[in-house]
Amino acid sequence: MEDRIVEFANVLRRNGVRVSLSENIDAFRALRLIGIRDPFLFRNTLRATLVKRASDVKPFEELFDFFFLGIGQAIDALERRMMEELGLTPEQFQKMLDQIQKLLKEMEGELSPLTRALLTGNRGELERLLREAANKEWEAGSSDRFRLTPYTLMAARLQMDRVHSEIERFKAMLQMLAESGEDLQNVMRYLDERMRDLTRLLREIIQQEQRKRGAEPNDYSQRSSFADKSFSFYTEDDIRRMNEAVARLAQRLKDRLSVRRKKALRGRFNVKATLRRNLQYGGVPFHVELDRRKKTKPQVMILCDISDSVLNASRFMLQFVYSVQDLYAKVRSFVFVSDLGEVTKLFEEEELHRAVETALKGDVIDVFSHSNFGRAFELFFKNYFPSVTGKTTVLIIGDGRNNYNRPNEWVLREIQQKAKQLIWLNPESRITWGVGDSEMPRYVPYCDVAEECRNINQLYKVVDLIVP
Amino acid sequence: MFHSVDDVVTGLGSQSYICNKNVATVVYLGTQLQKPILVEGPAGVGKTELGKVLAHALGMELIRLQCYEGLDEAKALYEWEYTKQLLYTQILKDKIGEVLRDTQTLGDAVDCIAKQDGVFFSDRFLLPRPLLRALLSDQPSVLLVDEVDKSDAEFEAFLLEILSDFQITVPEIGTLKAKHIPLVVLTSNNSREMSDALKRRCLHLYLDFPDPDREMAIIKLKVPGVGDQLAQEVVQLLHRVRKLDLKKTPSISETLDWVKALTLLNVKQLDNELIEQTLSTLMKYEADIRKAHQELKAYVAERKARQGTSGDSGKDHLH
Repeated sequence: MEDRIVEFANVLRRNGVRVSLSENIDAFRALRLIGIRDPFLFRNTLRATLVKRASDVKPFEELFDFFFLGIGQAIDALERRMMEELGLTPEQFQKMLDQIQKLLKEMEGELSPLTRALLTGNRGELERLLREAANKEWEAGSSDRFRLTPYTLMAARLQMDRVHSEIERFKAMLQMLAESGEDLQNVMRYLDERMRDLTRLLREIIQQEQRKRGAEPNDYSQRSSFADKSFSFYTEDDIRRMNEAVARLAQRLKDRLSVRRKKALRGRFNVKATLRRNLQYGGVPFHVELDRRKKTKPQVMILCDISDSVLNASRFMLQFVYSVQDLYAKVRSFVFVSDLGEVTKLFEEEELHRAVETALKGDVIDVFSHSNFGRAFELFFKNYFPSVTGKTTVLIIGDGRNNYNRPNEWVLREIQQKAKQLIWLNPESRITWGVGDSEMPRYVPYCDVAEECRNINQLYKVVDLIVP
Repeated sequence: MFHSVDDVVTGLGSQSYICNKNVATVVYLGTQLQKPILVEGPAGVGKTELGKVLAHALGMELIRLQCYEGLDEAKALYEWEYTKQLLYTQILKDKIGEVLRDTQTLGDAVDCIAKQDGVFFSDRFLLPRPLLRALLSDQPSVLLVDEVDKSDAEFEAFLLEILSDFQITVPEIGTLKAKHIPLVVLTSNNSREMSDALKRRCLHLYLDFPDPDREMAIIKLKVPGVGDQLAQEVVQLLHRVRKLDLKKTPSISETLDWVKALTLLNVKQLDNELIEQTLSTLMKYEADIRKAHQELKAYVAERKARQGTSGDSGKDHLH
């Protein structure tokens, strides 16, 4: 049993659930208390000790099912189907199995254990044999697997042809005995069906093993490649995973904040305040008062391009903007294509996905026009420039593809002079800046920082720039 | 102490806390393995209540530590009682003078005082805060660390020593070991992910909104006067409302408030008007109330339609 649990922990790990040694030890200690008789308690115990995150509960349940019930469940299902097909009640079915067992004994020659287990409906034995073969197969490694499917290999290991011929032999013997017609018909059908069942079980166990052995790419490698993948190549699945990445990013922002708070606890010794505070102790300085450094919360204004050319990137960026706004009190968010619209309020009120979808759908501004950075900048200058202060960080997200309109780079100059810093994030590769209708070379001189930001890793770096 | 998982269910049940086997297993393991239990889940599903009820069921003292941003050791663990120390030095001035009378130089005097400083840094002047109190109490106790996710990461790291070894180090005195290992319950709303180190030391329990049957049982237990039909309708409704995309999903405690309000108003069956007037006990945001109201309207309409098809006789009775 211990081995099985260690193995199960490994399976969990391979599927992205974090299980450490101490969790394993806990599981053992807990099981010694609870015992393994009650399947319900067994499951609960493992869940309480091995799973530590709410999001890991689902994978745990799935993996538990096929690890502990696994092939056994499949065998049960096949048996039920068989009974239905033959139109037998469980008692009749059992009677038939008993009869077959008796007949098998009369049969000449050695029977393979697999055939015996299969035909007599010995579930435990069948499961054991199949699993053993699978284990051996995977331990044998991949050298001899060259161009052979796992199915072929497993079939060979289990000597499927032998099982087949034995069943044929058994059938021939039954026909020789030629007992009553009706029963014989049923038994014959049963035997044929059994042979097919074995094939099905084999497929099932191969599938399970593949999942267990991590034939699927494991979580970590997936994640690292995901972080380097360009936004524009995101698939549906990637987009879904973005949420998680954004959440981690937000966490990182929070961590930085808390470090800053800690720093704020140190400061210069303040004589006046210390004296005043310690008057109650007769002037003996028990409490030392320090000049606290003021926490400067970043004021951020974000302008995000949501034109078609950068759709995937802007979806991601909006999520990012949303979480930034969630963290800081003074964030104002804008989206633009040719018009410019403020989405601060929308992001405050709506839940993340709906907010992002609403912003992208065109309810705020017309999203079907051609990008015109120049016009958007001009509008920003006209309507919102007064709210830029010396403490503001202005963040522009866009590819700078202006469709040969007027670039109006003077707006950026104004912003840079007034704001604390101006950051431009471009979801295009740096090589293409200035090629075609890209106006980046005109804009870059006025930016304190202009970075390409095509994947999550690059975004991580940018976070460090925004939150000093 | 509990003897089995079923024992936990009955034990908590006797304190009017209905829990399923899942919860009971974790609680049982927590008490037997002497491991802290980390309870996570949405607000208002009875996480804090679990800690309180546990203390009652086991007949132990409940020591509660409410976490918040900026909570530090001085508030959570111990503090030196400066004022008392100062008062004692003032009162004992003469005595100190006596002790120092024989000394010749300033250096001698300092040495002499240094020999005595154990007097001033002893248990007597130590002000125990919840964590230390739980460790040093003469009776076994239940330590409830509430909303641990609200505390800073540093405090979380500091909790680790206590949770794994049940001991703490006070520099002036030395290491204090727990007399009895307290049963620790930590609750978290998941406003931030707890560190792996902390999670590793705990058993994990995820409390979610109860299924309709359990919620029904909870309502009946906590609001004894409630009518069957009303309870059932409320539960059905809530399960629909929780599926909506709300800012704050109504929790069990809010449900109970609502049911209490409805019972007080002597309502036997939900209808539009009353819902409108009492919805504010259930929902905390204007936008949520609007959304929920739509859903409730639909529900009432559906119910009416159902009753209409089930025959007119029912209607006659109502009039």
